[in-house]
Amino acid sequence: MRPRPLRTRTFLTAMTAVIVMAALTGCGKPDAPGAATQPPAAVGQVKTIGVAFETLQTEFWVAGFDKLKAECAAKGITMLEGVADGDASKQFDQVKNFINRKVDGIIIVPKDGKTVIPMIKAANAANIPVVLYNRPADATDARHTAVAPDNFAITRETVTYLVSLAKKTGRKQKAMILMGDLSDVNAIGRRDGFEAAVKEAGDAVEVVARIPTDWNQEKALAGVQSAMQANPDIGLIFTSSDFMFPSIKSVLSNLGKWKKHNEPGHILLGGFDGDATAYQLMADGYVDATGVQDVYWEAEQAIQVILDAKAGRPAPVRIDDKGFAITQANLKEMESRMWGAVVAKNKK
Amino acid sequence: MDFTPNNAERPKTNQEPVVVFERIEKSFFGVKVLQGVSFGVGVGRIVGLVGENGAGKSTLMNLLGGNLQPDAGELRVNGHRYTPRNPKDARAAGIAFVHQELNLFSNLSIAENLFLTDFPLLGIGVPWIDRRALRSRAAELLRQVGLDHSPDTLVERLPAGERQLVEIAKALGAEARVILLDEPTTSLSSRECERLFALVTQLRDRGMALLYISHALGDVLRLCDDLVVLRDGERVGSGATKDFTHDRLVSMMVGRQLNQIYPERRAPIQTGSSESMASPDGGAVLQVDRISQPGIVRDLSFKLGAGEVLGISGLMGAGRSELARILFGLDPFASGEVRLSGELLTGSPRERIRRGLAFLTEDRRQEGLCMEASIADNLALVGLPANSRTPARFLDFTGIQSAVTRMREAVKLSAKATDGQAVRTLSGGNQQKVVLGKWLLMEPKVLLLDEPTRGIDVGAKFEIYQLIHQLADRGAGVLVISSEIEELMGICDRILVMRGGEITGEFRRDDFDRERILAAALHSSKA
Amino acid sequence: MSRIIGSEFFVLFLCLIAFAAFAPFTPGFVSTGNFENLLTACLPLLVLATGQTMVLITGGIDLSVTAIIGLSSVVGALVMGGEQGWLGGSPMAMPVAVAGMLATGALVGLFNGACIAWLRMPAFMVTLTTTMFFSGLAVWLAKKVVNAESIYHLPPAFLALGAQAWMALALAVFATFVAHVLLARTLLGRWLYAVGHNPRASLISGVPVAGVTVGAYVLSGIFAAMAAILLTARLETGSPNHGKALLLDVIGAAVIGGTSLFGGKGKVLWTVYGVLFLSLISNGLNLLNLSDFLITIIKGVVILVAALLDVWRTRFVRGS
Repeated sequence: MRPRPLRTRTFLTAMTAVIVMAALTGCGKPDAPGAATQPPAAVGQVKTIGVAFETLQTEFWVAGFDKLKAECAAKGITMLEGVADGDASKQFDQVKNFINRKVDGIIIVPKDGKTVIPMIKAANAANIPVVLYNRPADATDARHTAVAPDNFAITRETVTYLVSLAKKTGRKQKAMILMGDLSDVNAIGRRDGFEAAVKEAGDAVEVVARIPTDWNQEKALAGVQSAMQANPDIGLIFTSSDFMFPSIKSVLSNLGKWKKHNEPGHILLGGFDGDATAYQLMADGYVDATGVQDVYWEAEQAIQVILDAKAGRPAPVRIDDKGFAITQANLKEMESRMWGAVVAKNKK
Repeated sequence: MDFTPNNAERPKTNQEPVVVFERIEKSFFGVKVLQGVSFGVGVGRIVGLVGENGAGKSTLMNLLGGNLQPDAGELRVNGHRYTPRNPKDARAAGIAFVHQELNLFSNLSIAENLFLTDFPLLGIGVPWIDRRALRSRAAELLRQVGLDHSPDTLVERLPAGERQLVEIAKALGAEARVILLDEPTTSLSSRECERLFALVTQLRDRGMALLYISHALGDVLRLCDDLVVLRDGERVGSGATKDFTHDRLVSMMVGRQLNQIYPERRAPIQTGSSESMASPDGGAVLQVDRISQPGIVRDLSFKLGAGEVLGISGLMGAGRSELARILFGLDPFASGEVRLSGELLTGSPRERIRRGLAFLTEDRRQEGLCMEASIADNLALVGLPANSRTPARFLDFTGIQSAVTRMREAVKLSAKATDGQAVRTLSGGNQQKVVLGKWLLMEPKVLLLDEPTRGIDVGAKFEIYQLIHQLADRGAGVLVISSEIEELMGICDRILVMRGGEITGEFRRDDFDRERILAAALHSSKA
Repeated sequence: MSRIIGSEFFVLFLCLIAFAAFAPFTPGFVSTGNFENLLTACLPLLVLATGQTMVLITGGIDLSVTAIIGLSSVVGALVMGGEQGWLGGSPMAMPVAVAGMLATGALVGLFNGACIAWLRMPAFMVTLTTTMFFSGLAVWLAKKVVNAESIYHLPPAFLALGAQAWMALALAVFATFVAHVLLARTLLGRWLYAVGHNPRASLISGVPVAGVTVGAYVLSGIFAAMAAILLTARLETGSPNHGKALLLDVIGAAVIGGTSLFGGKGKVLWTVYGVLFLSLISNGLNLLNLSDFLITIIKGVVILVAALLDVWRTRFVRGS
């Protein structure tokens, strides 16, 4: 064996090299050639915004992301992007990078209401305004603005419509709800809205299945399948997000129960989001109602908050997206306000 | 089957040799391993290549087999320049290399092994194997080597000797004109050796050129037509076998007069035969009492005295290695007792090592060494706990280093090898010295050795015998298991013979008699 | 040049090259703020990879480290969480919680090691199954006790580990140093290498192979728990989801550094370089505002190239 003292010396030498390198970064001139850090923006002028999304897995998030991009481009703002793929730690790194780049504002879609709090605090410490997009944080005194839909109200409105249809059939209907990831405040709100509406229906509707999907398409499919097997006469299904409609369609088609609203054997279907899939299914007549979040409006509001903050105007703690329920009854008049309809039409 | 020895009567052919090495040079890491070696192998001749480990024999074979390229000099096959870049080129040139470690796939059948790189196809565009042609061609090759098995037999069912014949059949199947055999007899029984020799002679008579490397000088002198002797990378002798004697060969290989193969054995302080142990422990450092393990050993008892070298002879399958493994705690036994210096011996190998028991196994590559680790690390391994300080067992590097240096000198490890070198790069003899050094470092009270000189050259063997004697002279008890009766007769004070898990004979040094020892190995004690 | 390529510091040189490559083009790369970000980001990975290195040296692999992080995080938060924690609010909360987290890691490691050493099951299989089991257990535990997936209101003393960069750094450096000393200077270290080289020969040479194997996994579990401490403190939340994305980075960093997946070869320092290299690449690419998916692709390619370079380099240096 080689004498060990040499090895430890080598270890220490190497660590010194690392530290030297670190010192070099530390003493690095902020405007090293090519380092395009922005000079501090003049008051009222927003140059860059950092946008950190948890995921881009569904139409809904993509639509929001694209809208933010478009808004920034229209206003001449550079948008820095980050997608965390469900990893809170990664999101924190991305937010910290934005802070280091001295952005003028940060918009975050948090993975979960609690892990985002230290991120907001870090931005607060650097005096950068923070907006939470579509998903609020848990109770905290960290300064931020949340732009989020009133999940409870919108869902209750949607499900009330479904319940009224159920009552019209005259029979007691069995109901199933696909719940989202319960660490997501939005999922909890929607579940609560569903339960409230069903409670008001009294005996007309009985909930026989509550499926925890964790916002996962595969879990949704498996859950719906087993629920339909246990209760073949389910007559009402509500999904906490429209992106799970394909799973529902798959199971019901296999069972021969995928029917339009004016056909016998039709199962009442309701959802939430208002995406293009839901729009198409409603236009075709399979889905009865869906709660619409005004994604575009929320994006505009988010950027407006940052502009306001830069101009010195105070930022509200919460901006509510009132949203609405779109149903077969009001489809024609409301579809222009449904973002999914806009997306679907743009695709054609 | 018989064969014609040393075709003294056959006329020498006038043709240019099939294989010619001309002034071949090769170095590794700046160390010159071959310096200007030249010789040839003629058609229809068996050429024996002898030399100590490290003399350069394997390097020469690897050059011919396409695994290495020479730094200088020229190789010619059939008169043309021969520059293989890989074993495939060698095969294409008609050269077949039968390695010491066989290259067969034991999970495949004989036929599949024979034609692994060259299956007969049905020729219909899609590469389907023509199983009938495969079987018939394989059967033909098996007939040529005299192996009486169905070609569909899985290789894992064959004993070592028959696997070797399959390798040779493979060479014939590839239509080789030159066959290199590297230490072919190490794992063979004597009957299998005879079979091999007969086949080799047959092949020679059919016009093949054969190059035969072996440490078993007796076999080489019997079998080969010509000899080439290497020492330290140079050819120090060559010619027809009839011009050589065993002693002359040995002295050429070693470079000095080797008067002895075995060091002189002074009478040990205590000769411990079963009768002379009057007192209960009678000075016996190891006491084995009626050990039984069904199917392995039966009611086995013996004593090993301090300072005694005890040999255990017997045929393969007699249970000798199994006995050693039982003594060391690697395998269980059903009844009986083992005592070391009077105290009952129990527990894991680690526990037994603490008590002073050491075990050099018969498979140094798999069980004796960490091949990728350095010489120093291997030498120190057993002694590490003793060289570490509590509480956290920090290692005492100076202590370890001095122990390693001490052991290197004690076992006379090749000076060319550096401490940090991987043991994989060492010759067999040096590797075995490292294993031995590792055990000697702990200064054992009892050392068990299983085939300590297998696959090792003459010079290294002598040094190992010396080390065994030195250890015994320091008061340890040494148990040597070997398949070579001459070796045991040369170094032991007493020999026990085993057959079928029982002891069938005991011989003291004055009574050593090869025929009687062999007889005891062949017959049961009830004969 | 060949000396550099063959040397132990090869990956360190790669780091310097990466640094030099990013510096002129990447906005914000060369700045104190970024250095701090880079450092804090790589610390959990460093601790995790160090623990993994010890298991890799024995020729095994521990795929369950991310599950251990989740479980430890939940256990710790359950003990010291402000609202529903078992010891919430008490001054004993933090030390007991930390002890509990480390114990969790050790116990899972013990379970892994026992299955591998005494039941003779392959490491890959065992740790793959334990990862599923223990991450599920973590979620179940969180849901059962607090009916949510994340637990909050952790004591400020604990949170300081995340908020103060130097505290996290101190913990990580300490852990790495302990591992280095263990491997380089103790009996257990030599035994780990021996078992990785040749378990049979080691057993015969008196190494307690089973005990050493178990020890390796227990250590890996403890180091995973330390990574859990860092992550939980940083994100101020106990959650079964922390660190899920790290598994491949852990193995990648160890392999880039030069630790062999076959056992017998590896050093803590090499892993440090590997972690540094991966973190530099991640950080630089992130700052270049590339889309996330592109970054993952590039990281994959970089790891592949580094692994190939390592193979080439061992062959080249061996001279065969």
